[in-house]
Amino acid sequence: MKAAQKPVIAGHEKDVDWDKYLAAYYEKPRSSLTWSGLDVKEVYAPADLPPEQYKDVGDPGQYPFTRGIHRNMFRGRYWTRREVIGMGSPQDTHDRSKLLVDEGGSGLNTIADIPYEMGLDADHPWAQNEVGLTGVCITNMYDMETMTADIPLDKVSWSLITASTVAVVTMAQYAAVAKKRGYDLKKLRGTVQNDPVHFRYCGFRPACPLDLSVKLGADVMEFCTREMPLWYYTTVNLYDLREQGVTAPQEVAFGFLIARLYIDEMIRRGYQVDDFAQRFAFYVSCHIDIFEEVSKIRAARRIWAKLMKEHYGAQKLSSQHFRFAVHTAGCSLVPQQPLNNIVRIAYQALAAVLGGVQSLHCCSYDEPVCLPTENGHTQALRTQQILAYETGVTNVADPLGGSYYVENLTNRLEEEIYKIMAEVEKVGGMYEAIQSEWLDRVFEKEALARQKELDDRDKILVGVNMFTTDQETATPLGVQRIMKASVKQQIEMVKKLKIERNKTLWKKRILALKAAADRRENVIPCMIAATEAGATTGEMMGAVRLAFGYPYDPLEIIQAPF
Amino acid sequence: MKKEKENKDRKIKVLITKVGLDGHDRGAKVVASLLKEAGMEVIYLGMYLMPKDVVDAAIDEDVDVIGLSLLSGGHLVFTPLVVEEMKKGGFDDVLLIVGGIIPSEDIPTLKAMGVHAVFPAGSLTEPIVTYIRNHVRP
Repeated sequence: MKAAQKPVIAGHEKDVDWDKYLAAYYEKPRSSLTWSGLDVKEVYAPADLPPEQYKDVGDPGQYPFTRGIHRNMFRGRYWTRREVIGMGSPQDTHDRSKLLVDEGGSGLNTIADIPYEMGLDADHPWAQNEVGLTGVCITNMYDMETMTADIPLDKVSWSLITASTVAVVTMAQYAAVAKKRGYDLKKLRGTVQNDPVHFRYCGFRPACPLDLSVKLGADVMEFCTREMPLWYYTTVNLYDLREQGVTAPQEVAFGFLIARLYIDEMIRRGYQVDDFAQRFAFYVSCHIDIFEEVSKIRAARRIWAKLMKEHYGAQKLSSQHFRFAVHTAGCSLVPQQPLNNIVRIAYQALAAVLGGVQSLHCCSYDEPVCLPTENGHTQALRTQQILAYETGVTNVADPLGGSYYVENLTNRLEEEIYKIMAEVEKVGGMYEAIQSEWLDRVFEKEALARQKELDDRDKILVGVNMFTTDQETATPLGVQRIMKASVKQQIEMVKKLKIERNKTLWKKRILALKAAADRRENVIPCMIAATEAGATTGEMMGAVRLAFGYPYDPLEIIQAPF
Repeated sequence: MKKEKENKDRKIKVLITKVGLDGHDRGAKVVASLLKEAGMEVIYLGMYLMPKDVVDAAIDEDVDVIGLSLLSGGHLVFTPLVVEEMKKGGFDDVLLIVGGIIPSEDIPTLKAMGVHAVFPAGSLTEPIVTYIRNHVRP
């Protein structure tokens, strides 16, 4: 009877809760805190940015670079649209890279898989199940040749995301291939992530003992400074720290203190800061609170400039520049109602661009589900392109500069960052904070707090603790699977190489590498020579590890073959 | 009556672990802490463990629940290996739970392999605690 009274065209059979509707109409935001927990006022006014403070802000392109490192920012050049790629075999990764270039990507960006970052060859007994699952595994020169085949290395800027101590190997493999193909190393452009210190917090502790992390990190910096002067030899990774669950000011404070470990090591080796600092770069997260993220970036630029000039005595302006790439926050994305992630990513990308980013990776919407599918990857690139070509954000440098709120929040974040740095000093500095596991405890505490905020609805995440729906049964654009056949073929080729290479030459070169490491020399020249003789990632890392008193195999499963 | 009361008061024993080389351990550690706060006894095994290591530890500790955390796309590789070890060890009557980066398409596959429940990224604590309390062996 009741059903018959409903209009025939009604498409919504479920009863609507009109009280809930009324409550939503009058609903106010439940929190006025920023994502990182800073309390902010209802409105900001001229008193929040007194004119005398503007000298501490400065124009874009002027010290202390709060407003950007270039005077005209994106009018000079768009940011680099660089999507991270790494999946299956070197061939699979090569193919996806070319696809995204074809779709308008403007920078190549390949990421290592877990075995490679750990310093294991593809045929290591523990690696075989995991080759290509989260990136690409480069075991030898031929893998690097396959990944870079028919791509003009003098025309592209290639970002090689190897973060662990294995970054030395990546540089050696890339340089060996470039030399073989006749390129002048001095003219090559690109980036290697090379931040082994932070990578201990990403599950790679066996591959990243602290002393070796600083030593090999600095080897890459030194080698590039001498031989590849256009190459950005590190992107100190603040992003991964943020992904542990820490706040925006913690991200910058901890990241900068890690960066200083490398700079101090370069100075200890006899370099002046102006000899090398122009190629120092960072990798930053952009989370969902737009104003806080922009302010964080602005504060970071000012702090870095002051640190380089006042503490390290950098004279060149380019040594004072905080140059950074942004990776939108993977940990902010959820598999529940996955298409919503496209919107989250777009806001985060907007924050990056309003903050004056140099290079941007937008996560694909399927980040919390699987590696990006072809369509997911292309869509993420499209998000960047809509931002770059449609919205007008490129017209004006630092468009939020002078906003009473943003300038005030920039100042507050700067204060917070200094406060956190002082806390680390109190526990004995960053090296000690790492060794004593003080930093581990901070990460654990913060990660737990982030989950409780969601459990208690102190932070809202649509689809997770509000506006929830039933569990999805399918991912809208499908699921990326790893091509087992191509990975298997890659593993077989590694085994074949180890049998067929010139054993005398290989052994001579690998022992020369170990001797150089024993003498505490820069290991990269010997690694290039060893790579050319067919030495593999695991063997070269093993040789260096042995020289420093660590087991050949970080997992202690296999023995040195030399 | 007495037996029922014992069950209610008995601490549920949970093993949380990573398996293989996957080092994304933020989630596993958070879940371990939260289950502890919910009154369970939790053993967090850590990283770089093979399926046999996981099941041996589960048998030694005689846990009620095994929780695997997988975020690197290895869930369809490692889960069946863990199930196989559980069967070999005659330890397949405990709850097996998987969490992490799991495509929804793979949830039925994992359940067919012998997984009792899957909690993907973005799960809240309460449903995990409730599920364990309601489904753990008496």
